[in-house]
Amino acid sequence: MATIDRIPVTVLTGFLGSGKTTLLNRILSENHGKRIAVIENEFGEVGVDHQLVIGAEEEIFETNNGCICCTVRGDLLRILGQLLKRRDKFDYIIVETTGMADPGPVAQTFFLDDDFKQQFLLDAIVTLVDARHIEKHLDEMKEPGEQVAFADVILLNKTDLVGKAELERIERRVRAINGTARIFRTQNANVPIDRVLDVGAFDLQRALALDGSFLEPQYPFEWAGVYQLAAGQHTLRTGAEAHVHHHHDHHGHAHDKGLGLVVLPVAAATEQALAAAIEPAVRAFAEEAVTVTCGGSLKATPALHAIDVNYEGSHFVVDVAAAGAHAIFCEHAPAEFNLRVEGAKPIVQRAFASHHHDEEISSIGISDPRPLDPQKLNDWLSYLLKSRGADIFRMKGVISLKGEARRYVFHGVHMMFDGQLERPWAAGAARQNTLVFIGRNLDRQELEAGLHSCLA
Amino acid sequence: MKTPNAILEPRGELKLDDYIVDIAWSTDTTRLAVAGGEGKVFLAKRSESALEAREVGQHGMGTLAVAWRPGGSAFASSGQDSRITLFDAEGALVAQQRPSMNWTTALAWSPDDQRLATATGKQISLWAPSLVLEHALAPLASTVTALGWDKPGRDLAAAMNGGLVVHRVEPPRFQLRHYKWPAPCLTAAFSPSSRFLATGTQDGTVHFWHLSTGRDSQMRGYPGRVDGMSWSGDSRYLATAADEQIVLWDFGGKGPEGSRPLQLRGHTDRVECLAFQPGGNYLVTGGRDWRLSLWLPGKATTALDAQLTVAEPTCLRWSPDGRFVAAGERNGRLSIYELVRVV
Repeated sequence: MATIDRIPVTVLTGFLGSGKTTLLNRILSENHGKRIAVIENEFGEVGVDHQLVIGAEEEIFETNNGCICCTVRGDLLRILGQLLKRRDKFDYIIVETTGMADPGPVAQTFFLDDDFKQQFLLDAIVTLVDARHIEKHLDEMKEPGEQVAFADVILLNKTDLVGKAELERIERRVRAINGTARIFRTQNANVPIDRVLDVGAFDLQRALALDGSFLEPQYPFEWAGVYQLAAGQHTLRTGAEAHVHHHHDHHGHAHDKGLGLVVLPVAAATEQALAAAIEPAVRAFAEEAVTVTCGGSLKATPALHAIDVNYEGSHFVVDVAAAGAHAIFCEHAPAEFNLRVEGAKPIVQRAFASHHHDEEISSIGISDPRPLDPQKLNDWLSYLLKSRGADIFRMKGVISLKGEARRYVFHGVHMMFDGQLERPWAAGAARQNTLVFIGRNLDRQELEAGLHSCLA
Repeated sequence: MKTPNAILEPRGELKLDDYIVDIAWSTDTTRLAVAGGEGKVFLAKRSESALEAREVGQHGMGTLAVAWRPGGSAFASSGQDSRITLFDAEGALVAQQRPSMNWTTALAWSPDDQRLATATGKQISLWAPSLVLEHALAPLASTVTALGWDKPGRDLAAAMNGGLVVHRVEPPRFQLRHYKWPAPCLTAAFSPSSRFLATGTQDGTVHFWHLSTGRDSQMRGYPGRVDGMSWSGDSRYLATAADEQIVLWDFGGKGPEGSRPLQLRGHTDRVECLAFQPGGNYLVTGGRDWRLSLWLPGKATTALDAQLTVAEPTCLRWSPDGRFVAAGERNGRLSIYELVRVV
């Protein structure tokens, strides 16, 4: 019996103008020793010698298991079938989708059929993001968000066309949609080839390579600093040092409701005192915010303010009743708004992992050390796939099953699911369930409750 | 009862420089047209003592299909260069067409020798034997994956996503019937009796229709797509493959609905291709276990004979008289076997 190495496949998505063709040309012209077959939605200009370029006419098929999200690409099915007939002639496949393509049917095509699963290995979905236009695209259309959500690797491209603060904001927004993808900032899609090919994102053997911060506890704020403030009024400023008008193209969507800010008296200007203030701050952030417009005042009490920042510069009054250390908890990093207290510097400061956002599409990471019951897990995942398959774009997990020495690893695209027991847990290391869901309208509490129902 | 027996006797082989995608026998069994996955088109000549072949054409990025004209003296090929090419029996180019930029994935000569049907994307075209366009049918809703004529050459079935479409070809009329099934259909096979129309789907089911009543049935349980099927000459069995098993639906008696299919075991890896003898009931199968097996379903549950290949079999074609089998392999090996009855 012949053993067959699976052919790795990279799916390239990204909105029109994001730089897909630039990246593709770079990959094809670089000396990486691979023979690459390219499947394109249109016959493009790509035509490097000894590379195979095949045109496809997008055709979406629903499969017959009664779920509307289980769509595959009929054109891809046919082309892949043909490519198998010349598999000795290439080592790698790149599928370049059109700007408006939904990555779901493309990815699902590789899971549809056991034979395809044996022959092809979906290596990664790589999404290019046009840094200059992504915010507008995310606000106006659904495809760009889906392309970001499906990605294993995101190239935040054309970074030379946006400012630093803008780039921070964009990356944060992209990160809010997709908590697990590797994000690279690029110009001219210039990224080392090994970041986009042979990534192994779908390879269960390589398990879950996550951005560690994604699974840290989540806070509704990203930054806190402790200031020593005298009693009386202090001025909090944002924006430019002087009132200079900037011609930036800002889409202040994330701050339409104002920038969330809490000011709290703390015991001392120390890290311990700041840590002790986290809990009251989290509670304050859960409250209804009081909107404060430019020139208005903020109280040093556990209350959430939504300050109306604008990029040209705004100022607020902080009322301090008693002199001492005060912590300011801020929804976003202060650098982005050039937020500062006049005449004072933070003595202690700390950044927090935050996935607080307004996106319809988001990522939820759950971890829990307690072992799970295999049957209960199976029932829950089946239920989840059936009831929420259309909304869950991607899911991945490493599971600690009761009485099982090996890690159970799975990943899924919509309702297509692949899971297996793989290498044993490291001796002495803590076993931990780690699950990540990326999708639309995800409910963390519902997912956590579901996981808890699987405890052995 | 004595078990009938037959074997496959090797009758020559040669190595072509390409993956064998498709093979077509000439009616007189002296020639074979062979399609190569990289684009070559070969003409092989067979005699009692020799098998030889030469390259007669090229289809840019890959040949997709070859089909020999039942009337004898010509064959057609199509490829990923979007061309449809007509060759004479000596391999000389006779005519060429390029209906669109799409691939022409299916070629089917009508059994009455009147025309060639081709499927290019959603477009089915009918060509006079000289490859002059006779009629371009209205484009279908989805890309056509396979074509199949009924035995008289009157009805042409096309498989696509969403079911089968049958054109009754009585020029100038082209009456249309839809056999809907919400799945990507991959094959279109009339039973030789013209009583049944069957399709295999990407979803791992076989679906068939009783043509007299329009009643349809679904056969489930396949582990993956069903992209090959073949009817026995007496229309009793429909052979399909499910991984390493051969699954035969019995259309005798009350028919296959509700019954368990006949299962033939012997291959140790996925069955890639299968074909019933035209007009007869011998079945040959080729598997990823690099084995060609000969069966007589209903009479024997084990293989009558097996021949080892040197690579994965990719295509099996009986000669029109049911006497020879041509086998193509992934590495370009073409081998011919004769069915020999053993007393």
